[in-house]
Amino acid sequence: MPGPLISTQGLTKRYPGGVTALDGLTVEIGEGVIGLVGANGAGKSTLIKILLGLLQQTEGKATVLDMDAATQGSKIRELVGYMPEHDCLPPDISATEFVSHMARVSGLPAGAARERTADVLRHVGLYEERYRQIGGYSTGMKQRVKLAQALVHDPRILFLDEPTNGLDPAGRDEMLGLIERIGRDFGITTIVASHLLGEIERIAGWLIAIDAGKLLRTAPLASFTEQTGQLVVETEDDSAPLAERLVGRGFGARAFGRNVIIDLATVSGGEYAVYDAVRDDAVALGLPLVRIEHRRHQLEDLFRTDVPGGAA
Amino acid sequence: MSASPEAASSTIYDIGYRHYDGPRLGRRAAVTSVIGGGLRAVFGLGRSGRSKIIPWGAVILAALPAFVAIAVRVLAGEVLEVTTYDRYLWDVGGLLPIFLAAQAPELVVNDIRHRVLPLYFSRPMSRADYVGAKLSAMSLGLLMITLLPVLLLFLGRVLAADDVVAAFGDEAGSLPGIVGSGVLHAIVLAFIGITVSSLAGRRAYAAGAILGIFLVGGVVSAVFAATGGALADIAPFTNPLAILDGTREWLFGGSIAESPVQASDAPLWTYGAATALITLLCMAILVVRYRRITT
Repeated sequence: MPGPLISTQGLTKRYPGGVTALDGLTVEIGEGVIGLVGANGAGKSTLIKILLGLLQQTEGKATVLDMDAATQGSKIRELVGYMPEHDCLPPDISATEFVSHMARVSGLPAGAARERTADVLRHVGLYEERYRQIGGYSTGMKQRVKLAQALVHDPRILFLDEPTNGLDPAGRDEMLGLIERIGRDFGITTIVASHLLGEIERIAGWLIAIDAGKLLRTAPLASFTEQTGQLVVETEDDSAPLAERLVGRGFGARAFGRNVIIDLATVSGGEYAVYDAVRDDAVALGLPLVRIEHRRHQLEDLFRTDVPGGAA
Repeated sequence: MSASPEAASSTIYDIGYRHYDGPRLGRRAAVTSVIGGGLRAVFGLGRSGRSKIIPWGAVILAALPAFVAIAVRVLAGEVLEVTTYDRYLWDVGGLLPIFLAAQAPELVVNDIRHRVLPLYFSRPMSRADYVGAKLSAMSLGLLMITLLPVLLLFLGRVLAADDVVAAFGDEAGSLPGIVGSGVLHAIVLAFIGITVSSLAGRRAYAAGAILGIFLVGGVVSAVFAATGGALADIAPFTNPLAILDGTREWLFGGSIAESPVQASDAPLWTYGAATALITLLCMAILVVRYRRITT
């Protein structure tokens, strides 16, 4: 089993103004499509820039492909690709000219740069238009050029910062499809920073959630949405009286607005005993029931403070 | 993680991704390619015909006196001296600000304005590498005006002589001055052009600022020189081209009657000091400017 591609230990970045962007982040990142999720300002971009060797951390250590990001940035940057969040393309040259120039700057010989530019632009779906000036491109086409320049030197790791920014729904779908292909078919480990959980859910196999510069959780995507061992009872009115009655029966139950959440581990006599108890108590209270279901974790729970299992 | 054949054939547009196993040439190649790309930009290569007019026009105009001088020498012998090595750059000096104002902004303004820099800095090069590469590209471009024509004149004079070997012996002593002066002008002017451009938000502003510096400096310098007295002494120091001419004279000798350097009593070494000061100031500004750019 190979070691992680990227690892950080106690990574901290404090900006001169006193803002702490990363706060003792320790995480290991393996292969695949990895979602780096967090609200705006959570520290996603700062983490990427430190891993690229563009920013120096205040404390801690970051290793990329077994190289120290603080001292071997130049070597790391030969082997990784980076697509920034913001616009970053000159308008007055063609995509072909720009991407092949960037391939050269990445260290590819002229011939290889030309060949790979043609290949990569085709892979991202730019055909005849690649000879036109970038200034006339749509947002979707510009995003493809941004992706192409990050991919042209065949990096081992690809960092994409909010790659669907500014795209319409169709453009988002296409971009996500491309990223999925890069991770799955091209075999390039891709780290996608995003604040849009729905998108990450579609493409990532592994998730790293950070909040206020701290690691919230790192785990396979599936484990973020697995069953919680809890039952949700939705009612049509305030559910507090129902929760009270269930607690009286010795169940672990809490009311959240019109929902009651029951911890199945606290129930003796099996699940059916709960259903019977809920029915009986609801009838006694005259409280209409809407549904009873097993509660699953949702990705959004990570960043919510008002549900169990969310950020504290 | 490699694609299984089934997965690959399940996508209609999958035409196979090829990995790259060839050499990765690293930082030096990165810098060289930015210089190469810069030179293409300076001479409008890979760009519209319009962007070739000023650079190539300037190169041709700058070489014209050399061709005329050679032609005259071939036809009339050594009777008439059209130009000399010493005064060549002063005579074509007007072309330098135009070339610089048109091409220096081309090299740096768009990279800042359109935030392309993070793409460079996320590759195997540092900020200093980037700035150094752009300065090199501008300097090399300027050599087409500050060195090439004078070398042409040199070659012409040697080859037009009856005894080529003897002529080369006569003229060779001028070579250090020709090359030294050309390189000096190119480097210092590149620093001025790139520094001013890096501070401007748009190419037009940068071009205006560069032209302004030379135009205002030249006019002030001429007025001061004509006034005489103490003003004439400081006259050359308001005009970068006059400062460079003074430095050239200090290093390699040969005075020019029309240069404000002649009207001034300032010792020649002060021009050298002023040139060094300008270059250091530009360096300091560039360091601060590019450090402040967030990636």
